[in-house]
Amino acid sequence: MSETAVLLENIRKTYKSALSEKAAAVENISLSVGKGEIFGLLGPNGAGKTTTLKVVLGLVLPDEGSGSVLDFPLGSKAANSKTGFLPEQPYFYGFMTARRALDFYGKLFGLDASERESRSRSMLERTGLRYDSSLTLDKYSKGMLQRFGIAQALINDPELLILDEPSSGLDPVGQKEIRDLLLKLRDEGKTILLSSHQLSEVENVCSSVCIVSNGKVAREGKLHELLEIEDLIRIELKGGKEPSANLKKLVREIRATSDGIVAELRKDALLQVIDEASSLEMEIRSITPIRKTLEDLFMEAIKEAR
Amino acid sequence: MRNIGNIAVNVIKDSFRRKLFLFAFIFGVALLGISPVLPTFELGIRASFLRDISLSLSSIFGVILALILSVNQISQEMEKRTIYNVLSKPVSRLEYFLGKYFGILATIIVILLIMFAEVLVLIFVRIGVFTPILWQGFLAIFLECSIIASFSLTLSPLTSIPINVFSTILFYSLTHLKSGFLYEKLVEGIHGAARIFTWLIYYLIPNLENFNLSQEVGYGKGVSAPHMLRITGYAVLFACAFVIIGFLLFRRKDL
Repeated sequence: MSETAVLLENIRKTYKSALSEKAAAVENISLSVGKGEIFGLLGPNGAGKTTTLKVVLGLVLPDEGSGSVLDFPLGSKAANSKTGFLPEQPYFYGFMTARRALDFYGKLFGLDASERESRSRSMLERTGLRYDSSLTLDKYSKGMLQRFGIAQALINDPELLILDEPSSGLDPVGQKEIRDLLLKLRDEGKTILLSSHQLSEVENVCSSVCIVSNGKVAREGKLHELLEIEDLIRIELKGGKEPSANLKKLVREIRATSDGIVAELRKDALLQVIDEASSLEMEIRSITPIRKTLEDLFMEAIKEAR
Repeated sequence: MRNIGNIAVNVIKDSFRRKLFLFAFIFGVALLGISPVLPTFELGIRASFLRDISLSLSSIFGVILALILSVNQISQEMEKRTIYNVLSKPVSRLEYFLGKYFGILATIIVILLIMFAEVLVLIFVRIGVFTPILWQGFLAIFLECSIIASFSLTLSPLTSIPINVFSTILFYSLTHLKSGFLYEKLVEGIHGAARIFTWLIYYLIPNLENFNLSQEVGYGKGVSAPHMLRITGYAVLFACAFVIIGFLLFRRKDL
């Protein structure tokens, strides 16, 4: 058994109409989602995020490329039986109550009646819909539908959860609850593949990301590695004598603080800077890698892709 | 394959929600409305007349019902995106397509059975004649509806609702015309492209006039068992053909 939950290799998809062939929605998309991680799929509107998720689920068939989900072919019944999916702005059968709809979706997974009953109750509790479970879904607000969408995606206790804009339509409290739920699910060992516009959400919960732009992968990798600025670190020094000319020469940037200095330097100059600081009787308060924000990375990747 | 049943049951429940079972009620009202204005012939003729008119009305209601049930069955799910929550689960497209079709058939059966009971009761109350032979006429209507539903369901994922309605009505008209008008044209010996086109239409589309038993059942004689078997097989053949074509087109449809 591999450690990869989702693997896409060189996926290309072009939507064709009767009169013309449109530009490729995704082109040579390759990505790998490790088991047990939260993987963020980012990109501007129309970048190909939803198409990519649909390819994973078999809702859209790729023109080229291949892949697997939990070691099963893309879109196969075996793969989908271990997957939960929340579509973007989800719609459900409005004539059903939440409880009946969960029962129906549970049936599609082949769960027996008692299992459906207990899982429905537990999912409604988990998503805060217990007291609204006898309302028909056409009476639900956008936020409630989003939470119901998560409940139905979890009805089969999936190994892999695919969420398309999970926080869409939720207020800040709802967004925070979703974030906490995602982290809890990750701690339970589930793999989560989510697409989102909310960079802060992705930065807070994802360990890996893939940024797509114009249907192509612009960046992919571990988030902490992508955000690190290569070779640059920040050192914070306290007390001691005034910074010497030699110290100033060793660093890229230096600025005074109330009780010391903060300097940015290349990694290979660190040992020399530490020696120099100790000769100036300075105390090292912290050494940290310099990181970009996800927004910086996102904008940079999109700009490059254009 | 268990999901075929789950999806079919969902179609029936949705039909309840859409109040399609009111169709049987409207049919009953229409029947009651027509029966007092029928001419007062002698008993046998009145019975034939009532049976004939009831079957014709049932046929119209059945066809409209089949059209309403199937025309937006898949297209609406695609448009509303409720299809994602079904096909992202371990449900194959074949199970989904067949589930929809069988759900439509089951709904038609239930409504036709109610209509059948209404006709039996009405004829019995009006003229005191019990005419169970009408089951043959209602079975023929159901068989005709099964073909119309399979045709319309095939188009459902591919076209808009107005185009589907138009195409299905055209299909219905052509399939009723073929035994008369088209046959005469072929016998007349038209030539060239017109003959090929006429020939194609004549042999490749079903003849829905085969399911019109209003005369035989109207007279109270009915048709033989082999005849019923023959038209049942004929309906199964064409319904299966349309369902297979529909599934093949839907199988690779991007959602």
